[in-house]
Amino acid sequence: MTTPSSRDLEILSAYLDGQLSQSNRTRLETRIHADPALATALEELRQTRALLRRTPHRRAPRNFTLTPGMAGIRPPVPRLVPVLSWASAVAMLFFLFTLGVSLVGQLSFGSAAPMRAAAPKASSEGPLVAATMAPLGAAPATAAPATMPPVVAAPAPLAAEATAAPATMAPLAAAAPATMIPATAALGAGSSNPPPADQTVLPTATPEISIMSVPQAAPPGIARVLPAPPVPKAQHRQVNLWLFIWPGLAVILGALAVLAWGLNRRSFQRKNPRGRPPPI
Amino acid sequence: MDESALIVEAQHGNLQAFNSLVLAFQDVLFNTALRILNDEDQAADAVQEAFISAFHALNSFRGGSFRAWLLRTVTNACYDELRRKKRRPTTPLEPETVDGDEIESPGWLADPHASPEESLEQAELEHAVQHCLENLPADFRAVVILADIQGLDYSEVAIAVHKPLGTVKSRLARARSHLRECLQGFRELLPAAFRLEEQSNV
Repeated sequence: MTTPSSRDLEILSAYLDGQLSQSNRTRLETRIHADPALATALEELRQTRALLRRTPHRRAPRNFTLTPGMAGIRPPVPRLVPVLSWASAVAMLFFLFTLGVSLVGQLSFGSAAPMRAAAPKASSEGPLVAATMAPLGAAPATAAPATMPPVVAAPAPLAAEATAAPATMAPLAAAAPATMIPATAALGAGSSNPPPADQTVLPTATPEISIMSVPQAAPPGIARVLPAPPVPKAQHRQVNLWLFIWPGLAVILGALAVLAWGLNRRSFQRKNPRGRPPPI
Repeated sequence: MDESALIVEAQHGNLQAFNSLVLAFQDVLFNTALRILNDEDQAADAVQEAFISAFHALNSFRGGSFRAWLLRTVTNACYDELRRKKRRPTTPLEPETVDGDEIESPGWLADPHASPEESLEQAELEHAVQHCLENLPADFRAVVILADIQGLDYSEVAIAVHKPLGTVKSRLARARSHLRECLQGFRELLPAAFRLEEQSNV
């Protein structure tokens, strides 16, 4: 009596399931009758199979029916969603445009801002006497407040310094080069307080660019009459209005883009509640 | 509506028809997953995943045994779960006695309709079979579960495990041989009726 080989066990297993051809079946039955080990192995395999078949069947603990969400059946999406999905790109364009407009506006109007602050009052009074002439000495300083007291804008800090300056400094200020004049004019835009007549504003060396260019050869202390810059009020209002409208549009479009993203995400979650199913 | 008509309807996206198929096959799939994984919750998860992926891949079904095709999806889901378990082994929370010992034949395994003796026999049998199944390699386990517990023929098993017929025969024979040796240790615990019951069937 020998132990059946793995090949014999495979044949016995197939025989048990009726998977052998007629000739192989007859040959195996002859061997089984002759070899008790094969008969024993066949009996044990049969018992094993019987045990497995008697294993109790368990009912499913719940129903595994699919909901539309689990099956990935998408609910109808609002018609605006595909349109809104482009809103982010449009919002970005608006944003860039707004940024560009504001930068260009700053570059072109930024240095003229002092003049724009002065323009509304000065334009109604005709030619503008240069405000920079005020601090340039005693004689022009006395004349300047007379012609345009509200226009001349002396910088508050500088004015404060000027009040502390001794009177002997006045000639020095009068001798200051003309190239420094626009700097004081530009700095003076922030304040509308006219300087006192007896104040002498010391020109500083602040290298600020100004569209009001005073020729180098111009003698100090001579008042120059400049034409008022052509900045109509309506245009200012229009530019300011658009500077508010463009960012507003960008914000609205951005909000719509976020809304579209939220709607798309929600519909995706309904479609795939547990992520992507494994492939079969 | 018969099975093939339901399949055609489901292939056209009819979820209700597919759910009718789910109700018809969920017990078979759950039992298979339970025997492979030996964990009720994981088996339920695997069955649910299998039905979801089956619905999405329904158009790839080209006829034949739909049961075998579904069993293939659940077998794959079980293999995935076994791989996950291998990467992240866990300790199952078995019911325990007041002394802290594990209950080997817990009450939730019992069939409420059986007598106490029958329930005990079934519980012992299930425990012994499950213990021996767990010692088998996963590929052998799936084959013997499909063939001997679910009663599929060889061709259906070949579809379900996606292997040639010869491989199925070989794996089934080796699995039965392993189980025979393993169950020898439980033979005294099993009722005598199981040993002689099939002798006249072949």
